[in-house]
Amino acid sequence: MTLRVLTVDDSRTILAMLHHTLSNAGFEVLQAEDGKQGLDLLKAESVDVVITDINMPVMDGIEFIKNVRATGQHNSLPILILTTETSQDKRDQGKAAGGTGWIVKPFDPEKLISVIQRVVH
Amino acid sequence: MEALSLRDDMSDKSAAAGQNSLQLIAFSIGEQTYGVEITTVREIRAWNGATPLPNTREFVRGVINLRGTIVPIFDLRARFGDGQTAPTKNHVVVVMSVGDKWVGILVDAVSDILTVNRDDIHNVPEGNAIDTELLNGIVTHDNRMVGLIDLHAVVTGAKMDG
Amino acid sequence: MSDLDDFKATYFDECSELLTELEEQFAAIEAGERDADRLNAVFRAIHSIKGGAGAFGFSAMVGFAHAYETLLDYVRDGRVELTDEVVSLCIRANDIVADHVNAAQSGDDLPADYGADEKARFDALARGDSAEDEEGEPIEDFDIEFTPVMVNLDAPASGEAPVADAFEAPPMQAETGSWEIRFTPHRALYARANDPLLLFRELAALGRMQVVARLGEVPPLSDFEPFAVYCSWEITLSAPELSEAAIREVFEFVDGDCDIVIAQAGSAPFAGASFEDSPAVEAAAAAQDEPDLSSLLALTEDEMNGGPLVADLPEPVAPPEDFAPEPEAAPAGAQDAFEEAPALSFTALAEAIQPAPAPQAAKPAMPAAKALPAAGEGDEGHRSVGVQSIRVDLDKVDRVVNMVGELVITQSMLTQQMDETLRARYTELVRGLEVLAQTTRGLQDSVMAIRAQPVKSVFSRMPRLVRELASKTGKKIKLETIGENTEIDKTVIEQLSDPLTHMIRNSADHGIEDPARRLAAGKGETGTIRLSAEQAGGNILIIVEDDGAGINRERVLKLARDKGIVAPEITPTDEQIDQLIFAPGFSTAEAVSDISGRGVGMDVVLSNIKKIGGSVHVRSWTGKGTRMTLRLPLTLAVLDVMLVKVGGGPYVVPLSSIVETMQCSRANFERVPSGGRVLQVRGEYVQVIDLGQRFGLPNAVAAEEQFVVLCETEGSQKVALVVDDIIGQQQVVIKSLEENFERVDGIAGGTILGDGNVALIVDVQGLRSTHIHQNAA
Repeated sequence: MTLRVLTVDDSRTILAMLHHTLSNAGFEVLQAEDGKQGLDLLKAESVDVVITDINMPVMDGIEFIKNVRATGQHNSLPILILTTETSQDKRDQGKAAGGTGWIVKPFDPEKLISVIQRVVH
Repeated sequence: MEALSLRDDMSDKSAAAGQNSLQLIAFSIGEQTYGVEITTVREIRAWNGATPLPNTREFVRGVINLRGTIVPIFDLRARFGDGQTAPTKNHVVVVMSVGDKWVGILVDAVSDILTVNRDDIHNVPEGNAIDTELLNGIVTHDNRMVGLIDLHAVVTGAKMDG
Repeated sequence: MSDLDDFKATYFDECSELLTELEEQFAAIEAGERDADRLNAVFRAIHSIKGGAGAFGFSAMVGFAHAYETLLDYVRDGRVELTDEVVSLCIRANDIVADHVNAAQSGDDLPADYGADEKARFDALARGDSAEDEEGEPIEDFDIEFTPVMVNLDAPASGEAPVADAFEAPPMQAETGSWEIRFTPHRALYARANDPLLLFRELAALGRMQVVARLGEVPPLSDFEPFAVYCSWEITLSAPELSEAAIREVFEFVDGDCDIVIAQAGSAPFAGASFEDSPAVEAAAAAQDEPDLSSLLALTEDEMNGGPLVADLPEPVAPPEDFAPEPEAAPAGAQDAFEEAPALSFTALAEAIQPAPAPQAAKPAMPAAKALPAAGEGDEGHRSVGVQSIRVDLDKVDRVVNMVGELVITQSMLTQQMDETLRARYTELVRGLEVLAQTTRGLQDSVMAIRAQPVKSVFSRMPRLVRELASKTGKKIKLETIGENTEIDKTVIEQLSDPLTHMIRNSADHGIEDPARRLAAGKGETGTIRLSAEQAGGNILIIVEDDGAGINRERVLKLARDKGIVAPEITPTDEQIDQLIFAPGFSTAEAVSDISGRGVGMDVVLSNIKKIGGSVHVRSWTGKGTRMTLRLPLTLAVLDVMLVKVGGGPYVVPLSSIVETMQCSRANFERVPSGGRVLQVRGEYVQVIDLGQRFGLPNAVAAEEQFVVLCETEGSQKVALVVDDIIGQQQVVIKSLEENFERVDGIAGGTILGDGNVALIVDVQGLRSTHIHQNAA
């Protein structure tokens, strides 16, 4: 079964890197450039895991996670937060909003995959 | 407008040719034979006219359409200072690559593909400026003298004031 | 090109967009719009640039961007006030970031202390406000490790790597033996989509594991609350040299969302107590009238496995497909125990508890049921939701553009083949061709629109230039930009940057006066350079205008005479003098200034612009200012032309420059003393250029059978071209002569006609300027 990953980031570079790494690892990758797009995609698509940036225009990552959880339809959907911060701050905010775990940028491919495997069946 | 592709036999022959030998396309202008290295030749086609370019020297015969790109044609006879060729359908344009550009050279006929030994290439005797400028060397094949064309030199100085 | 290069290309593209965005935002911030949205956008842009820089190991850029970002963060949350000083510091910082990006892109190294002053200022600003603030972390203490990590990107499918590999955390304290873990998840753990089963799977990868579920808390079904958490687990994990840290790392994401006690086997906290009250025992004891969930669980488990509720998890277990979208918290916990039983589904569970009025227990299955069809669909139609644009390789677009160009020409060729007889006989064919022509036109427009981009990307580089010029010259200069959303072909945009830079330099250096002189002239201290773009028919006009002193014609003419550009006996008009600043080899800077100098003058502008089929015109008003106008084609690919014959050969003249055509026999020529001719049109005298003569071609037709093509060049200057014949209008695809040859005076390029022959494109503007040149020489 191919796992589907929704990647949400306003940086094309990061989206491209995620896409490359994830599709090489056999995932199917969906992309959104902000939380709003991500939310729209989730309405129409079923995905197995979400990876989202925090700092984004239109709708930031925290709002996005809150909104995803608030739908009530994605309570068991793992959401991983992309963060460059080593400070606990962003992670705590993300977790409080309903984030499952986090990935520290810059990520290396193996670590990325292993973190995903950690939260997905 | 016949185009003769040389690619096939070209690769065969160059594979057969050893390290120290050189393959030439030989062509004639009047009685004289000249040659260019076969690897630079892209295509040989019959003369079918060219659109003249203004403000250029007489050896620039104009430009032709080679599968969508514009390629200039140089009249080798005129380049040697012997006046413009009066081309007929039997005249031949040898299309070659010089650096990253493609150019065509108008000659009387293509005569042969020659394999010569690099060691047999002689220097051009000093004396005539045109010869030393336009030839890289001279080689003898079947008792004929073959002048090796310096393509870079042939295509420079095309503009009126250049 | 490797993947890494691809990513870098993407990154640098993105950086240039972000830098543009920064310029825009700060232009507004400088103008007083200091709202949160702008600050957030600025923060995000810097954050994104830093993020990518980190991924590629551009550590100097990361260091600077990080300090900048931290300051921005402080400004955002009000810890640092956004004073004018901070704004101008930020603007400088943007320039430094841009330099870092450029250096990274070109592979150059910036000095190690590049931007050190600004960085120190960030730190000071941040410290200044956070000095009393205990929590404010000092900026320089950031401990992000930015090492290039993209090394094995090209390696295939790293996803196959077993989980164990990735999580082999370095043993902090190498301790031997066996650990006992008591794990009690909170509701929050499930709410964040963490899953005990996954944790167990990870633990199982660390060593041999035994899990016992404690179901003592599970209430009678009537009290059962679907979202509550009733389960906890006790895990025994044994592996040689397994450290507590390695176990803790497994629970990293659920830290705070569960109670967890880790102890070495046999040590105090768990001693004796751990497995006594085993759930199986409890379940057996709780035999009541009402079916009790824990006994039910125990029962089914027994039926399935014929064993107690103790699961050995030697390796990760795949969940049953039915469970894909999982139901809620408490059952999820319970369900984990079932994961090994693929045959069991909630339908089965619901049937098993049928006798009991247990709507709550069945409820969690509902969202799952609703979600299922969505999961099953997954058709392509849905995938595009939320995506408004796609990125396409420019090469692909260009291939389409070229093919459409050829199509346009084929179509116009077909139309030309239709003579009157054919038209009369095949009306359907004629109609079809008309439709084809229309569709082709539409197709062409649409394709060109794909390549079009707003000039903003070039304009946005200019504010920085003007700032630098102002500080170098000590002048006060304000830049105004107008029409930056005007769209133009991407290739044209790329070629625009250098000429614009030169023109603005010229304006700042030679146009705008220093403040004292401006005041003396009764002007404001600050000079203005106005950069504007507008569409005018098939052209785009880019205008650089300043309110400076205007061109010093006396000096220009003197210099031009000194350099032999203008012959002594010639007296050029004011307009011709102005135009001289673009003449090859001319540079008005007497002492080559730091700014405009650089050994190249405005002639570079002219040649660059000509290369993309445009023209430059300059107009100056003494004491009032100078206006330089670039006229650029909307598109480079296809040109509307008039096909003419000169000396028996085909030439084309761009239709956009033609005013009218007439027969020579009806034209009103006059002789001038130089022997040349002028044409009198409606009271205006126009210079005549006989193309055959100019191009050195043989006379093909008698003079009275020739035609005049009246063209307008830059600045409404007209010129009359004499040609042998006018064939008609058509569209052509422009081909470069320089690709295989070199530039030819008076010729703007070539094109291939329907019969396969090459026709040359007449460079009308070029003819005029070489004409002045020749007269002058």
